[in-house]
Amino acid sequence: MIEPLGLGGFPHVDAVESALRLRAPYLAGIVQKQFKEFGQSWLAAFDRELGTFFGNDAAALASAVEGYIKFALDGMLLQKRFDKAGRYEPKTFDQAAAEVYQNPDYMFRLYLPGIQLSHFLWRHHYRQHIFFVERYLPLVMEHGGLRFYDVGVGTGFYSKEMLRLAPHLSGEGFDLSQFSLTYAQRMVSAFGAADRYRCSIRNIIASPPAAPAPFILNVEVLEHLEDPLAFLKALFRMLEPGGYGMVTAAVTAPNADHIYLYNSAQEVVVQIQEAGFKIVEYCEDRAYEPARPSESVPINAAVIVTR
Amino acid sequence: MDVKTVLNSVFRRVFDNDSIAIFDEMTANDVEEWDSLAHINLIMEIESEFSLKFTVDDILGLRNVGEMIRLIERKLAARGSS
Repeated sequence: MIEPLGLGGFPHVDAVESALRLRAPYLAGIVQKQFKEFGQSWLAAFDRELGTFFGNDAAALASAVEGYIKFALDGMLLQKRFDKAGRYEPKTFDQAAAEVYQNPDYMFRLYLPGIQLSHFLWRHHYRQHIFFVERYLPLVMEHGGLRFYDVGVGTGFYSKEMLRLAPHLSGEGFDLSQFSLTYAQRMVSAFGAADRYRCSIRNIIASPPAAPAPFILNVEVLEHLEDPLAFLKALFRMLEPGGYGMVTAAVTAPNADHIYLYNSAQEVVVQIQEAGFKIVEYCEDRAYEPARPSESVPINAAVIVTR
Repeated sequence: MDVKTVLNSVFRRVFDNDSIAIFDEMTANDVEEWDSLAHINLIMEIESEFSLKFTVDDILGLRNVGEMIRLIERKLAARGSS
């Protein structure tokens, strides 16, 4: 048995670990694993995230942990079934939208809190965040531009991080789910940046914004699309020449709404180049090391682009 | 063989430990190697052994091994009566 960390100084992470230990003890060890790999800075950042977003609402945090457990279990089961089938479950975008994006119960109870907690509880997600902070943000700060677009805001986590870490920026987020926009707005507001952010429903292929921006974010959207190349071409037109974007995608990572399968990070990079972007830098991170070479593992490909 | 006996052999196989003896109140807190990956491997082995399918809600509702045994028994009974 893995002993609890005893996180008295970090009450929100402590609450997450306790809830996991009670409801799904096989998942509780992840807190200690992440702490061991990323240390005190991870612990402090995770506690700040939870404390700022959930405040003292212990019931809301407990509900988010419940959503995370279901989200994680769903992903792990699908991963095993993906290993047998070698493909994602056949699904159109409209089917995924009906099942996930336009389903408020699924979005608010499972999907959005699940993703929010995964930014800290999943190794490859936290490494992606480190890549964002250490490699992408310095380019943003040096460039001096003032605006960004976040296309596919999800929980609003990366919009919030841009606004929090670059206080001179203002941003605009787009999504096809009203429930994502609601959550993102709540995220940005919790961190005190609502006056520098707005978000709206927008299909950037059918209805692109009037002007490009110096920075764009597009975090784990491509695998949700039937034609990610068409989307990337529209995204390319939204970036000013000389500007910088961060585009990420999930590779071999089945989920209820993942419909486009990337078999390698290189496939993501090639497609991004095909859309017109120049690659500044990219990284790929695995969720964990497979027990056997034949087992698939979720991978994140994160790419810094320019034009 | 009853469900508990067969399940015990599945546990021994998944955890590669012939000394495991399951009991109703047993949880992942009682087996050091019982992490998330082991849990999913366990679920997949149980599905294969008993020719059953679990949903995420099935798995989420399990508090201990005793509940796992009763879930398997219910699913087998439902299959037998269908």
